[in-house]
Amino acid sequence: MKLDNMFKKTKYSTLRRNEHKAESVRPEVPEGLLRKCNKCGAAIIAEDVKKDAYICPKCGGYFRMHAYRRIEFVTDEGSFKEWDRGLETKNPLEYKGYLEKLRGLKEKTGLDEAVITGKAEIDGIETVIGVCDGRFLMASMGEVVGEKIARAVERATKERLPVILFACSGGARMQEGITSLMQMAKTSAALKRHSDAGLLYISVLTDPTTGGVTASFAMLGDIILAEPKALIGFAGPRVIEQTIGQRLPKGFQSSEFLLEHGFLDGIVERSNLKGTLANILKLHADGGCSPENMQDILKKSLDTGTQTAAAQKTEPDGKEEPDAGQAKELSPWERVLRSRMQERPVGSDYIESLFTDFIEFHGDRLFKDDHAVIGGVARFCGMPVTVIAQAKGTNTKENIDRNFGMPSPEGYRKALRLMKQAEKFGRPVICFVDTPGAFCGLEAEERGQGEAIARNIYEMSSLKVPVLSVIIGEGGSGGALAMATADEVWMLENSVYSILSPEGFASILWKDSSKAKEAAKVMKLTAKDLCRLGVVEKVFEEPQNFSKENFEQVTGALRAEMARFLSEYKRMSKEELSEYRYMRFRNM
Amino acid sequence: MIKKILIANRGEIAVRIIRACREMGIETVAVYSEADREALHTKLADEAVCIGPAPSSESYLSMDRIISATIVTGADAIHPGFGFLSENSKFAELCEQCSITFIGPGSDVIARLGNKQEARNTMTAAGVPVIPGTAEPIYDVESGKEAAAKIGYPVIIKAALGGGGKGMRTAAVPEEFESSFLTAQKESQMAFGDHTMYIEHFVQRPRHIEFQILADSFGNVIHLGERDCSIQRNHQKMIEESPSAALDEKLRQKMGEAAVKAAKAAGYVNAGTIEFLLEKNNNFYFMEMNTRIQVEHPVTEWVTGIDLVKEQIRIADGRKLSYSQEDVHLTGHSIECRINAENPAKGFRPSPGMVKDMYLPGGKGIRIDSAIYSGYTIPPYYDSMVAKLIVWAKNRKEAIAKMRSALGEIIIEGIDTNVDYQYEIINHPDYISGDIDIEFIENIGTAVK
Repeated sequence: MKLDNMFKKTKYSTLRRNEHKAESVRPEVPEGLLRKCNKCGAAIIAEDVKKDAYICPKCGGYFRMHAYRRIEFVTDEGSFKEWDRGLETKNPLEYKGYLEKLRGLKEKTGLDEAVITGKAEIDGIETVIGVCDGRFLMASMGEVVGEKIARAVERATKERLPVILFACSGGARMQEGITSLMQMAKTSAALKRHSDAGLLYISVLTDPTTGGVTASFAMLGDIILAEPKALIGFAGPRVIEQTIGQRLPKGFQSSEFLLEHGFLDGIVERSNLKGTLANILKLHADGGCSPENMQDILKKSLDTGTQTAAAQKTEPDGKEEPDAGQAKELSPWERVLRSRMQERPVGSDYIESLFTDFIEFHGDRLFKDDHAVIGGVARFCGMPVTVIAQAKGTNTKENIDRNFGMPSPEGYRKALRLMKQAEKFGRPVICFVDTPGAFCGLEAEERGQGEAIARNIYEMSSLKVPVLSVIIGEGGSGGALAMATADEVWMLENSVYSILSPEGFASILWKDSSKAKEAAKVMKLTAKDLCRLGVVEKVFEEPQNFSKENFEQVTGALRAEMARFLSEYKRMSKEELSEYRYMRFRNM
Repeated sequence: MIKKILIANRGEIAVRIIRACREMGIETVAVYSEADREALHTKLADEAVCIGPAPSSESYLSMDRIISATIVTGADAIHPGFGFLSENSKFAELCEQCSITFIGPGSDVIARLGNKQEARNTMTAAGVPVIPGTAEPIYDVESGKEAAAKIGYPVIIKAALGGGGKGMRTAAVPEEFESSFLTAQKESQMAFGDHTMYIEHFVQRPRHIEFQILADSFGNVIHLGERDCSIQRNHQKMIEESPSAALDEKLRQKMGEAAVKAAKAAGYVNAGTIEFLLEKNNNFYFMEMNTRIQVEHPVTEWVTGIDLVKEQIRIADGRKLSYSQEDVHLTGHSIECRINAENPAKGFRPSPGMVKDMYLPGGKGIRIDSAIYSGYTIPPYYDSMVAKLIVWAKNRKEAIAKMRSALGEIIIEGIDTNVDYQYEIINHPDYISGDIDIEFIENIGTAVK
């Protein structure tokens, strides 16, 4: 049955309506109660937005945050002390109406200029903080903005404090012309000094970060974070479209786009921002770990570690086989197959099991974030370390994402970037090697796979911090060495390390890749062989059917040895370290 | 003066409200989701505004859309019905901010009564009985025993961090206290690593008795007698009736006075319901106050002759109550059965779909509040209640007979319903004798097919 227009309407008289018009207040939405989300266009209740960290409750889109709100949001209550209020521009271009415009804005927004700087605490850790406010001429960088940032950074350098800058800016301030351009140099130079003093700078990019700000302080963070879906770029999208006469793809110049292209360490939801900043600050606050408390760490790790610590062997001798319980010795080819087994724990498993507080940092800052390499900062028994792992997946989908553990040049460049960062902050580097080899493909060659590997070996050889590499699966050739130019290289019993895959070896020398089994025999690629050759220092026993189920048997021993390694090598001076590493390879 | 009301609801209650408005000469605006284009309330109202897609969160719960629809259509009041935004203090506050009359109590009252602890405190202060219990945590048997004696047996011992029945034990008599307390505490220690306990009077197999009240903005508060809603499945009421077989005039007066006291203490305005648990020994305890029209309001309407929805609108319009307590007399007996589109044989699984054909009973003393019609498709997104069958007769026995007859006449084709399940209950000897409590369904569960 259709009911359209079947029912009679309620009778009403328009006369009566008018009679009462004066007496009652007509319903209306008062000013400011509702607002429109400029992302999804929906009407939303203003108070909800405020309560929820200025995020649209409908679409999850981020509203721009006022600078003081932002400071309140990420710092400890009442800890913020503002610096350098009251600086004035000299109006270098004598641009007509500029000063009046500034005066008007100051009045309207209550802001002093487009950036607020000062000192605050985050989870009790002191830091210098600067926050742009888009309401003030789109937070463009004129001389006052540049000056305030430079002063704040200089003071941070003097007081040996970290710096956190929240970028939200259209770029240079046109009204100040060339003087504005010079602020890019001024802020960058101040940050360079701050960095050379070994201090931490975290840059947080929010919507929008463009132009001269992107091309200066915003992109210079030791760690660069961004809020989701922020517009970040040098040239604005409209300018690019007009210049090249093409429509830009969806998501171009978004945070996600930048992350994929290697320019961000991570995208952080607003609700996690304070926590993330606090974690990063903490990991950098107690960077140094004295040999004395290393002893504690060693003890702690032995306690939490395991009896199987005894299982690791330094000298393989024929009698006491690692697989003592097993009926027969595995052939090299069988070990090759085991090193490739799907069930084998992968890099991320080691990170999860051996470390705490891991924060992954992404990107090579050049072209891409390579998922075949995972890297970041974590704690080992409380001590901050840089961890880098070649990453295979645990299933086909993950493996496709991780390119089956075959790093591209970007992966090696990310690893190197993180190692250099570790060197700056005096953190030991621990690498997990597990790759069939560096990715072999057109794009890899275009972007200089050989150069990337060479550069890693070259730089790692003289890194001023302890470097440890553990081969946990396949150690495929140069692709492995580019993360194994270390003070010590360890291997798991059934991992392999070779100049080439046995298949490749057989195909080059014997023109027959099916002879891989024979090749494995002659290549001396097993842990035992390599230990004998002096290529690796330690071999760790594996349980039978090694998998995540019995993982702890291996990590227990690893943990104990890692503590030993760190306590030994952390005592060495920078010179001793690089000399030691030099000689390690010099003698091969 | 209210001239146009937007009904922020759907289903039979929206239809019920539209009907009251039509009779009062008030224009109506229905709001509907994309799934409710063909719904009866959409068709029956003078105007209808689509407020979003099917999920309630994007339509019937979307405050800003409902407010916008109100402003756009020039309505001056919103009736929230029950469920959805009806007890949302924030929504009521938004209405206040936008000078829209919210047909219900003020946002502050909703907020205050919505907070269980605050409501309990308000009632205690006003002298309305609440379930006696310890205010302070108890850690040892001795002080527990002392407290239990004061509270009155039987008692229930509850872990402060408890949940899912863990760390919870009853003690019927003082002799049982020690072992029950220690077991509960040990369980709590094991499960939650905490030995903080609370002790409360254990209300054994109570009845759910609620009192309807009406309060105007001039401080007049009256009660309209009780409803017995003890027939519940999983805390969902199934059958409600007024008056209750358990109340005599004296108890009714006592509980009614407590209800009025409760409403006054809360500063309540408009129609509301005070829920009590009634023990076999006629002790009763305040549970909560519902700040809206109830599903089961028709049984009260029938025994009192008062149209509750119309009263709600009058009160919201700033008028005085049309009745005083002396005018209220409960005449005869009324029973309501909720008709749900669900399959009792399959765990009461909802059964949306097209109503291919239907026949509903009528005649003297039969009322049907429903939103379905022949050819209507029940959408799967909302509550499964599609109709209410209400009967009235001189006394409970005749009312049951009428309900039995009426249930036996209902034909709804195309979907599964709980009509036969209700029919079984109505015929159950315990129900007929009036010997019911809130565990009724649980206890006969297997008997009813």
